[in-house]
Amino acid sequence: MRRLIFIAWFFIPILGFSQEYLTKNGSVVFLSKAPLNEFEGKSNSLNGLIDLEKNLLDFYLDLNTLNTGIGLRDKHMRENYLETEKFPFAEFTGKMEPVPDLKAGQSYPVRARGKFKIHGVEREILVQGTITMRSDKRLDLNSEFTILLNDYQIEIPKLVFYELAPEQKVTINATLSPKK
Amino acid sequence: MRKIFLFFAFLLGLTSTSFSQLERQLANENQAVELIFHAPRHINLLTVEPLEKKTMHFAIMHTFGTLNGGIENLFGLDNGANIQFSFEFGLSDKFSLGVSRASRDKVYQAFGRYHLFEQTQNGKMPFSLSLAGGAGVITNNYSFFPVAEQPVFGDRLNYFGQVMLARKFSGKISFQLSPTFAYFNNPLPIFQIEGDQNFYLALGMSGKWKVTDRSSLTLQYIPNLNSDLRSNFGIGWDVEAGGHVFQMYFVTSQALTEPYLLAGGNGVPGEEFRLGFNVNRIFALGQKKRK
Repeated sequence: MRRLIFIAWFFIPILGFSQEYLTKNGSVVFLSKAPLNEFEGKSNSLNGLIDLEKNLLDFYLDLNTLNTGIGLRDKHMRENYLETEKFPFAEFTGKMEPVPDLKAGQSYPVRARGKFKIHGVEREILVQGTITMRSDKRLDLNSEFTILLNDYQIEIPKLVFYELAPEQKVTINATLSPKK
Repeated sequence: MRKIFLFFAFLLGLTSTSFSQLERQLANENQAVELIFHAPRHINLLTVEPLEKKTMHFAIMHTFGTLNGGIENLFGLDNGANIQFSFEFGLSDKFSLGVSRASRDKVYQAFGRYHLFEQTQNGKMPFSLSLAGGAGVITNNYSFFPVAEQPVFGDRLNYFGQVMLARKFSGKISFQLSPTFAYFNNPLPIFQIEGDQNFYLALGMSGKWKVTDRSSLTLQYIPNLNSDLRSNFGIGWDVEAGGHVFQMYFVTSQALTEPYLLAGGNGVPGEEFRLGFNVNRIFALGQKKRK
């Protein structure tokens, strides 16, 4: 009997897998709206995990994959602002409040609270979004939130204040498939 | 003993349930080291800094008269400048072609750069290596000379070839070695060069020390290897301002194209410095206009 419990204990995480959803190619877009210059940066390399069983959300983006359409601007973004050589990832790990009881074909507004980390600075944030359980058992996740660069010690020099907004609007769209 | 084993087994099971975050993985393990220098040019020398496909690098470069004329000649600005306009087009992420025109002897030059490999952040490739080469033609009008002394077209041609080996040693310090040769078909005394050799060999050196996030102290030294001519020396300051890179420097000659840099005419560093000033701008070509 004791042996059975012992073995079962190791299988708990494996049993949980049926509730895990993954993506490797979610879309992230940020929008910078400064008085003299408006531009977007995009990436289709968002990695994400939603575990409904354990109520775990875990997302990360390799910031090197962000593309604003102008190579030199990307290089400056990586070197002077995000410092990707030191801090290559933007990360979010949190929980949904509450976990919706998902039914196929329906959308649910969700809130997630957790730790967001970029440029080496970690902060607790609250994010609003929508989760849809598709009929093919995949999850669609949409979310929009705002990041203040100042909160993460990303400084905007006065010289480029009119070209780079202190407030960046981030939009996330991802489709997660059940883990096999 | 058994209890201890069970306890650790319990802990093991516990950790495997609670720490199931995704492992952080870079999309590209061999991410290139970027911005070894601020721009594709560094004082007067070309750098390993590549252009991307469908971008154009425009540079205006000036070198003025010697500073030792003092305020009377506004530190050389009154003496007229050698001005070079340079347009370079990225045909791919590794290959670019350019044309330039320098006012000294009215030299038109066609040149190209090819980037063999780039330094990577993981250190698998410890440096960047690029090649450059070009051909120039002196288009100055010498018709006021007697016909016998006038240069023919072949006399007016000059060439250069360059290997560029660069490394960013830290976020602050970058260094480039540029072994360079130059060849003048006929180094006539009417051309504004000091040397009378056809072939010149030099070892260009470029240094950058990033002092603030957007500005650097810059150095240039081009020791001649096969002539007794005084070598070119320059010291300057690079500033990144939005999409522009401004380069201000003191340098020992007015030369702006590679063959002229190697063919002498340098003053004594410190005593006969000249003020120089470059503006670099990268334009994106053929980009779709975003809404």
